[in-house]
Amino acid sequence: MRNRTGTILAFLAAAACGLMAVGCPKKPPTTTAGATTTTTETSKPPATNVPPPAEAPKGEVSTEPLAGDVAAINRAGYLKDAFFDYDKSDLRDDARSALASNAEWLKRYRSVQFLIEGHCDERGTAEYNLALGDRRANAAKEYLVSLGVDAARIKTVSYGKERPFCNANSEDCWQQNRRGHFLVTAK
Amino acid sequence: MKTLRFLPLVLVGLLLAARAAAQTPGPTPPPTGQEMVLKITKEAAGRKLPLAVPALTTPGVAAMQSKLVDPFTATLRSDLEYTGVFVIADPAHYPSGSREPTTTEAADRWLGTGAEILVDTKADVVADKVTVEARVWDLKAHQLILGRRYSGGVSYVERIAHTLANDLVKEITGKSGMFLSTIIFVSDRDGSAENSKDLYAMDFDGRSVRRLTTHHSLALNPDARNGKVVFTSYNSRFPQIWTMNADGGGAREIKTGVELNASPALSPDGTQIAFVGSAKGNPDIYVISTAGSNLRRLTTTHALEASPDWSPTGRQILYTSDATGTPQLWVMDAEGTGARRVTYSGNWNDEGAWSPDGSKIAFACRNEGDFNICVMDFATGNTVQLTSDGANGHPGWSPSGEKIVYQCKRGGKTQIYTMDANGENKRMLTETGNNLMPIWLP
Repeated sequence: MRNRTGTILAFLAAAACGLMAVGCPKKPPTTTAGATTTTTETSKPPATNVPPPAEAPKGEVSTEPLAGDVAAINRAGYLKDAFFDYDKSDLRDDARSALASNAEWLKRYRSVQFLIEGHCDERGTAEYNLALGDRRANAAKEYLVSLGVDAARIKTVSYGKERPFCNANSEDCWQQNRRGHFLVTAK
Repeated sequence: MKTLRFLPLVLVGLLLAARAAAQTPGPTPPPTGQEMVLKITKEAAGRKLPLAVPALTTPGVAAMQSKLVDPFTATLRSDLEYTGVFVIADPAHYPSGSREPTTTEAADRWLGTGAEILVDTKADVVADKVTVEARVWDLKAHQLILGRRYSGGVSYVERIAHTLANDLVKEITGKSGMFLSTIIFVSDRDGSAENSKDLYAMDFDGRSVRRLTTHHSLALNPDARNGKVVFTSYNSRFPQIWTMNADGGGAREIKTGVELNASPALSPDGTQIAFVGSAKGNPDIYVISTAGSNLRRLTTTHALEASPDWSPTGRQILYTSDATGTPQLWVMDAEGTGARRVTYSGNWNDEGAWSPDGSKIAFACRNEGDFNICVMDFATGNTVQLTSDGANGHPGWSPSGEKIVYQCKRGGKTQIYTMDANGENKRMLTETGNNLMPIWLP
């Protein structure tokens, strides 16, 4: 009985969430007429460091605590990072789908608290990038909130370009460093 | 550890000029500072003023060559050349024997080296205390320009040379010398924690590096006025503004109530901090008192604002905004009104810094490729690019505005450099780890 109620509630929640997601218009791509900012660097998120999330059965709200400590949960990589274009904090399609997946998982484990770190690649100036990282982290946060994740569970921090994931001089590496990185802080 | 090196340096302004005038027949009274300034300014436009700087003499004192004579003479020559105003005539051609150019014949021997000014120094040593007597002569006019006596511990002989160099620059150019000034910067040289950065200080020439913070997280973007330093620290995971004394003591956190807390900048009177705050992902310029009260939001755009810097009068704030699509420099008055765009060329300008006299702004500029350091004449908008190698950023002015300190990344490492305000005379000051975000204190 308890299970069935849970299933129904989860179904309703998922339906509502779906409606909300549909109702959340995508921002039109920002065009910077006259500016020479290159937008050719749009690329797919790096495939590395994103292990497949351990799926709970679809449509069920878990009543069981997550196994392992916070460090183990972070190592498992349940939450996917959102990647950004150069000098942009607009959410790309791949970022939206990563965040939608995160929202599903976060609604399953409602006690989880987490941090979104905003990161930038090394090509910009340090001071501007601290503000840009703040925008990226908050863009990811706002989208999660629009998908029904309680804002009180989310903290954000910008590291600008001070905590890079890699240090190579290549677009592949720069893309790695332009991200909203998720870190579970409490389960 | 946290106290600045203290030197009981006794500076005695001898009335040597008057005495020399009384004792010798030739010299007339020294020119006033004003006349001298005009003369040097005119000369500096075409060429550098040649100086003879013979080695310190130590009559009656033996075995002080390496402890006293060499460090003093090398420091004095290096300082004076570093100004960009002087050139040192070749010491190999200096005459031997009497150095007082009180006669035409004696002065001519010095003029024959190409020098126009003689910097004559003599030391007396008693126990571990040295007294240096300096006499600076205008060789063409046979005039004593400067006569002063300095004393201190023998181990502080370089500091005595810096002090004399400062006095000489002040006397001849009218501007304060920089040879006892300090540069505060960010470095990862510790290496104990991955990607951690702390604050350090060093002399103007890169010597005597001392550590100011041990947060082992991120300490970023220092600024300083009137002996107080402000910076951003991630010591408690989330960035907060901190303040401390220039020697690293008295550190405390200033709670602002907003997020981000980046790029704090002290107002010229030291009572206010402009910084980048964020509420709900909208970075704006805020101001708060150094006591942590009276928070005000100055920009109210939906654009991204960053990197504030106060004008020397404290009436305007320079900052970066992407309101027009790319990061550009803007200026507004200190109440947040009257915002107008300042830079129009290039697709990314940031980290603006106002020159001490308010006439110029230095900033990180880019159109294509790597960032460079640009300087704009604030009244006309005329802009010159001062660097062309590596990825440059975070310019700051020397206290009198004749030098610019900045960071440059080449070959994977970021180091701190200085250059003349016209881009000449570039020197690398650091080499251990990565060193960045420098500011120059008086």
